[in-house]
Amino acid sequence: MPDVVVENLHKRFGQQAALDGVSFSVTDGEFFTLLGPSGCGKSTTLMSIAGLERPDDGTIRVGDVTFVDSSGRFTPPEERDLGVVFQSYALWPHMTVGQNLELPLKLRKVSKTQRDDLIDDALGQVGLAELRGRYPHQLSGGQQQRVALARALVYSPRVLLLDEPLSNLDAKLRERARAWLKDLQQRIGITTIYVTHDQIEALSLSDRLAVMQEGRMLQVGTPEEIYEQPASVEVADFVGRCNTLAGEVVDADSDTVVVDLDVGERVQVDTTAPVGPGARVTLGVRSERLRVSQSPPSGAYGGVLPARVVVRSYTGARYEYEIEVGTTRVFVESDELLEGDRVFVVVPRNGTFVFAKEAPANVDEEVAEWHPA
Amino acid sequence: MLDQPISVGSTPRYRSVLGVRRESLIQWAVFVLVLAGVLAPIVPTIFQSVLTRPLYAAHKAVTADNYVRLFTHHDFGQVVLNSLEFAVLTTLIAVVVAVVLAVLVVRTAIPGGRAIGAMLLWPLYISPLVLAFGWIIMYGPAGFFSVGVQKVLGGVPWNLYTIPGMAVTEAVAMVPIAYLYCSGALRLADPSLEDAARTCGAGPLRILGTVVLPLLRPPIIYSALLIFSTSLETLSVPLLYGRPVGINLFASFIYINGLQQSRPDYGLLAAASVVTLGFMALLVVLQSMLLRNAQRFVAVRGKAARPRLLDLGRLRWVGLAFAWLYLLFGPLLPILGLILRSITVVLTPLVSPFRVLTSSNYATIFSYGSFVHSIINSVVIAVVGAILTALIAALAVVVARRSGFRFQRLLEVTALSPQVVPGLILGIGFFWAFAYIPGAGVISGTLIALIIAFGVRSLPSAFGAIAPLVMQVGEELDNAARSVGADWWRTFSRILLRLITPAFLAAFVLLFVQMIKEFTPAVFLATANTQVIGTTMLQLWLNGDTGSVAALAVIQVAITTVFVLLAGYVLKVRTHA
Repeated sequence: MPDVVVENLHKRFGQQAALDGVSFSVTDGEFFTLLGPSGCGKSTTLMSIAGLERPDDGTIRVGDVTFVDSSGRFTPPEERDLGVVFQSYALWPHMTVGQNLELPLKLRKVSKTQRDDLIDDALGQVGLAELRGRYPHQLSGGQQQRVALARALVYSPRVLLLDEPLSNLDAKLRERARAWLKDLQQRIGITTIYVTHDQIEALSLSDRLAVMQEGRMLQVGTPEEIYEQPASVEVADFVGRCNTLAGEVVDADSDTVVVDLDVGERVQVDTTAPVGPGARVTLGVRSERLRVSQSPPSGAYGGVLPARVVVRSYTGARYEYEIEVGTTRVFVESDELLEGDRVFVVVPRNGTFVFAKEAPANVDEEVAEWHPA
Repeated sequence: MLDQPISVGSTPRYRSVLGVRRESLIQWAVFVLVLAGVLAPIVPTIFQSVLTRPLYAAHKAVTADNYVRLFTHHDFGQVVLNSLEFAVLTTLIAVVVAVVLAVLVVRTAIPGGRAIGAMLLWPLYISPLVLAFGWIIMYGPAGFFSVGVQKVLGGVPWNLYTIPGMAVTEAVAMVPIAYLYCSGALRLADPSLEDAARTCGAGPLRILGTVVLPLLRPPIIYSALLIFSTSLETLSVPLLYGRPVGINLFASFIYINGLQQSRPDYGLLAAASVVTLGFMALLVVLQSMLLRNAQRFVAVRGKAARPRLLDLGRLRWVGLAFAWLYLLFGPLLPILGLILRSITVVLTPLVSPFRVLTSSNYATIFSYGSFVHSIINSVVIAVVGAILTALIAALAVVVARRSGFRFQRLLEVTALSPQVVPGLILGIGFFWAFAYIPGAGVISGTLIALIIAFGVRSLPSAFGAIAPLVMQVGEELDNAARSVGADWWRTFSRILLRLITPAFLAAFVLLFVQMIKEFTPAVFLATANTQVIGTTMLQLWLNGDTGSVAALAVIQVAITTVFVLLAGYVLKVRTHA
């Protein structure tokens, strides 16, 4: 299985820059995910690799074959030998499952007997061997999705490209399909590029993932790196639920900073972020790492903020609180039921992110939009 | 097998000729073919209109004289006024009748609504020429019905051979078009809008006025423009009604100045054609401005659940009477008259038709080789022309909508543009083109010439019939085929073509019906050996042979009926379902 290299991809739709210098590389056998909100360019990137979009500039290479480069080289999709699974599955409705899988093999001039073997193999891999004679409309959504995968794998393509393949399944089925997909990919060991807007999918499936926004790569890394060491407020914000508090550094050494928050409290947190006294910073704390208590807490912490509970909701496993600290709202998950409005929010000393930049003003609304309670 | 890291078979490679890929060659071929077909008749017409002598003659010079003569022609001003009056009246009558009927049939509970709805579409299958014959036989100065009324009242309170008379007849031919658009829109309309009005306390009439009719504005505007431009270019009714009394419209003016002169004035003819073309083009521009983006391919098929019907109370009997009177006097009686006339020596209320029965009208048709030939010619043109046109239109749609072809937008505009070219002018244009283009003379005077002309004329409706269905096929199905190794052409032939087969067959049936009815391009193009049913009927009519005309008309209607019924059973095509 070859590796995939994408360098400096650019694409404009009219005035809008869809891709603005996208670069990444995927190593042999890796499961790589492009994660981002709709319109961030992740699908355009994937379709550029597939050859179904034509980037304005940049290089795309798979193994030692260059598909696209700045000199105007462009290999049409049919000659790239990649497997693509589309969001709508795109099974040809006038062909049976078997015929759907047979077309790519016919186009590759595979003999009839070998075709039959390969089709049975591929359908066996996805657990649908008995459905070979059915038409797509006779299958359930989950079955269609697996047939689409089998069709993309039957000719042993060099790379597997998946465009939100699970987004049309209902929630329960999606969880099962996720586990199954991960297992299949590991069994086959095929280099895979996966596009999704679902952070859970991205974190649970990927060896590495790239977070994209407005046609740019915000961060590339393992799921742990992305979650534990987000490179920017945007990444922290998009992956997981992250609260932000703006402030000014008053003291800093190599592994801690002391910040005066705009809400009027002072906190001290451990960080290696290169910020010095006087710098404006944004602190980011994941909602499951903020603690709340009704009395001033004891023990080690970075800071305590007096606050007021605005919304209290019970989700079964835990309670979720929307809390006002000064004029800033934060979300906290807790196992405890808190009585009364007056509470204390505890900022942990460890695991609080320090970003050298001011958070965008509307970041709270974005959090609410992407993570509805 | 899947666990092996090697590719299966050989990755598809597609040859390219001189560095040009197969798909580019096909796309360019379609583009050039459509462009040539559309420009061939128009360019010579424009040239001819500024030349002193016929295109094929020597010693030509450029001149504006043709236009000067046209605009100072003693008749031309009147021709423009007549045409406009005719078009406006036709549009008004047809749209009002169609809207009333559409609301009655689709949205109210009148008895037998479904049957009425189906019958309203029948005139679509009948040539306006045939309808005009039927109307003259029934309501003309010596018509069956007119004579009957005269016997009772002592006079006839109408005169068919006037512009309003023409407009009423033409309107009957046009009502189905407006009805199709309006009823389609009504079927698609969300019934909860009406329910909402009802909960606010609105009665059925109030709902019709405030909710239903405003929804119809887009289909009304669209069909009104379509009817207006069609009636500006139509030849049949204006020629049949206007010639005896000297009323000329655009098409009949061109016909009389082009065909009925011993030495046609080609310059004048071309200038009149160009002016008419300009008029039509202006209308299309107006149309696209009024209906920016939305309405080009109005969805006529609605799959929404049938909405609750409004109960008009006693008023529904008035509606029912209106629908039946229209059907009876509009299309049914004239066609019945035509059938009766075809099996009688003379048709008048003074003599019982059963005492003058004869088969001689049909005998005449079948005993003359040239008449039989015209029937065969029409069928050949319709079958071959419909297949070829549907194929080219399907390719044009796919190139215009499903390819990265550089001039896809231009291709679409070109393919749709013959709708501004009146049939008569298309015929003249091709006549000149075949005479003028080196080597094309071989085609001139053959059935191939007619197939090309009829095909170009029907291209826009073929494109319009196929395009919406191609758009319904998700683009991901194409992309999936490309990703597994099919190039553009294989994707078309293996996937898209199979998926649009129903649309293709429906387009084929539609084109067959259109081409069997069509005759205007043949007026100039056809030679003695390549007459079609329409031109033969016209000739027989001008010779006063009404019985044979009626027989031939009945034959034409019969061919259409048999074909449409067969298509329904064999091809499973339901036209206008």
